[in-house]
Amino acid sequence: MIRALLFCFFLTQLLFGYSYDDLVLKAQSSIFPKIMLLDKEIKNKLVNNKIIYTIVYDEDDYQTALHVEEDINTAFKGHFDKYPYEITLVNFSHLSPTIKTSALYVLKSSKENIKKAANIARQKGIVSFSYDVNNLQYGLLFSLHIEKSTLLYLNKEYISMKKIDFVDLLLQMVKFVEKNGAVV
Amino acid sequence: MISSISTDMKQFDAIATQTKQNEHYQPYIVSVFESKELEKLGVSNLKEALMLVPGVDMATDNFNNQTPIFRGSNPFAYGQSKLLIDGVLVNNLFFDAYSEYLSMPIEMIKRIEVIRGPGSKVDGINAYAGSINVVTYAEDFEGFESNDKFVFKYGSYDYRMGGFVKNFKTKNFKTHIDFYYQKDNKKISSGPDGFSQGSLGAANVGLFQSGEAPLWLDEYSLGLNVKYKDFTLKARILEHKQGSAYGINLALPQESDRVKLPSYYAELGYAKKINDFKLDIKAGVKYDAFDSKAKLAPDNTVLGSVTFSNGVYGEHYAKQRVLYQSTYLKYAGLQKHHITFGYRVTQEKTIAMISKLSNLATGNAALVDYTQTLPFFDKNAHRNVYALSLQDAYDVTEKLSLLYGVNYEETSYKNAGLEPRVSFVYRQDYKNIFKAIYSMSHRNPSWQEMFTQNNRARVGSTDLEPEKVTSYEVAYIRNFSNDAYLQSNIFYLVNKNQIYNSATDPVYRNTAKTDIYGFELEYKGHIFPNDELYANYTYVDGSYSIDGSSTGNNIPNVSHHLAKAYYIYNLSCSLSLSTTLKYVSSKERMPTDLRPKVKPYTTMDTAVNYKNIRYNYTVNVSVKNIFDTDVRYPSPQNTYVDDYAQARRTFLVTLKKSF
Repeated sequence: MIRALLFCFFLTQLLFGYSYDDLVLKAQSSIFPKIMLLDKEIKNKLVNNKIIYTIVYDEDDYQTALHVEEDINTAFKGHFDKYPYEITLVNFSHLSPTIKTSALYVLKSSKENIKKAANIARQKGIVSFSYDVNNLQYGLLFSLHIEKSTLLYLNKEYISMKKIDFVDLLLQMVKFVEKNGAVV
Repeated sequence: MISSISTDMKQFDAIATQTKQNEHYQPYIVSVFESKELEKLGVSNLKEALMLVPGVDMATDNFNNQTPIFRGSNPFAYGQSKLLIDGVLVNNLFFDAYSEYLSMPIEMIKRIEVIRGPGSKVDGINAYAGSINVVTYAEDFEGFESNDKFVFKYGSYDYRMGGFVKNFKTKNFKTHIDFYYQKDNKKISSGPDGFSQGSLGAANVGLFQSGEAPLWLDEYSLGLNVKYKDFTLKARILEHKQGSAYGINLALPQESDRVKLPSYYAELGYAKKINDFKLDIKAGVKYDAFDSKAKLAPDNTVLGSVTFSNGVYGEHYAKQRVLYQSTYLKYAGLQKHHITFGYRVTQEKTIAMISKLSNLATGNAALVDYTQTLPFFDKNAHRNVYALSLQDAYDVTEKLSLLYGVNYEETSYKNAGLEPRVSFVYRQDYKNIFKAIYSMSHRNPSWQEMFTQNNRARVGSTDLEPEKVTSYEVAYIRNFSNDAYLQSNIFYLVNKNQIYNSATDPVYRNTAKTDIYGFELEYKGHIFPNDELYANYTYVDGSYSIDGSSTGNNIPNVSHHLAKAYYIYNLSCSLSLSTTLKYVSSKERMPTDLRPKVKPYTTMDTAVNYKNIRYNYTVNVSVKNIFDTDVRYPSPQNTYVDDYAQARRTFLVTLKKSF
């Protein structure tokens, strides 16, 4: 009986998703694509002349990923400024270095999965956005957090990245986060 | 693109501030409860939601006029906390209470923001021990999901409820309507009643009764919010009728005896931003009434030399009107400063009063109109209140914010005078936030405390000073992630001029001084990714002294320990199970009250919530007080000797269809 209960318990752990804040999701859906456009190298990251914006999610966060996709489509209606875009939804288990994408937006997951997504973004020289600001310490690049006001956080590792080059004005707006998670 | 990002960020700043999303950065101690989460727990109404707030306990009186007690505040003074619905103050004038709104169904509410302590003084509204802002679904932001719905509920005591929320929107015009009707036939075994303690004289002690106290409810409410460009209209009609509970004269009433506490308000607003200025003008009218019709004393009651062989009956009616107007100007033209200056003027007045009793000369039960000869209330009661305030929110550095200001208030009776306030918020980083708050506030005496007449238990006095509080609070908030935090705070409250009366001295007087201190811990987060855990603990202690005596006594009718917690386990995105636990420790009595302490209690509720995503409906089944615990709210000395019994185990089924 105990084994059966434990099995059910672990099964539910595998099946069900994280919790998300609606306002934070909405703010990130509205702001992250615009930040991507402030990368001076964005033209080099187009796939078939389109921006591919990939939402990476844990299996059980599929509904959240769909929700984000809907928010982005409502806000941008097919174009990030002059670039047409396409949103793809990729499960962490299907995320691989061969993925063709212009940016990653990473929902919550285990530390291992976050590191995996961060490494792929780093290898490909694309911008990675994180729902959770705490995940910048695992290598993701950008996050947005609602505090007294809305704040943008940028991983300090950005300085050593050569394939991403944000406009200076953006860098004046962000707060840098150290590898250990401390804000500079 | 940068300017577009800046505009977006400002827009989300505004939403976060309005929705208290950034509550931890506000210069007061605040807890915010989202109704969507409360609905999962099976929370049925505003009262049940408030019972989850740190430091909040509940008190009631002989006609079940319930009031939340914040951090051990005076349980017999109703107006120590304020209730606002969409920013409109709804405390009634008669008691300065809002018991009639505590049954407001949770499905009509979007969010509840509770500020503990006198930290929030918004638009001239004085919070003394705490303030509650109920935000309905009239709050609507572009791009967020619709909140239109139908709700039906059925539960114990034959409780039935039906209601809806509907919004209409065009480019410049927004209308919100909510409506609910609810009814039950709640009766709770109570007694012996106050006659057993001589509440109507020694001659009548033998007439005491025990039995079912009529605690039934029958009410409906229609709320309307209209926004057209810069203009708003907020209006509500609440027709609240309830059983006479434990009897307005402390005699167990008949089943059909009733009290009506209607409340109507309408507020017009105009808000305009011009360059660095923001103008906010409001004008409103509010009506409330106390309307009781009941058998006040049993057959064969003897008053003086008169015997009432068929009992004593009474009708008491007092209708009040409040007119108010406020203007506030906010200026953001000085770098790092946000200055607010404004006034609020209020005219409060009794506009109708009826006092009828059985014939006091002959003992005949038929009602005689004593409105002119023996009124229960001053029919000419009136008061004007003028409040001025000046406040500056100053961002000293990127990490340190300072809010300081002063309020000045005069009334046509005793003045509260000048009351300063200073608070600091220091944000070390996004994980660590510190706050320190010093503030003074007051509560003006309620209508009941000032103008009640010809009553053996309550006699008003217009010489009363406002109750005053000076508060010191320090808080630390640790944010673990976007949705997990621990908030801790220490408070010290010095209360003066506390208003009390007693059976031996029924005249209300500023007799007591209380010093209250304690701390609160509040945690929200997860054990696993798919659950939600909320828990809080409050310790309250202190002392009180009467009439300048140096002898300190333990504060009566206050629980030293309050602990509340809920846990929601999301079995899937459709199905959740939840448990709610509440512990309220024992309460000491007044020193002259020789009864044992009010017993501590622990209650446990459980609920299962199913949401059908495809057809957008929700079914919730909950069982409250699952272990059938005996919960009692304290009664004053010489009234109901066994205190006021509350509901035992109950169930509730809710069906909600969203559009």
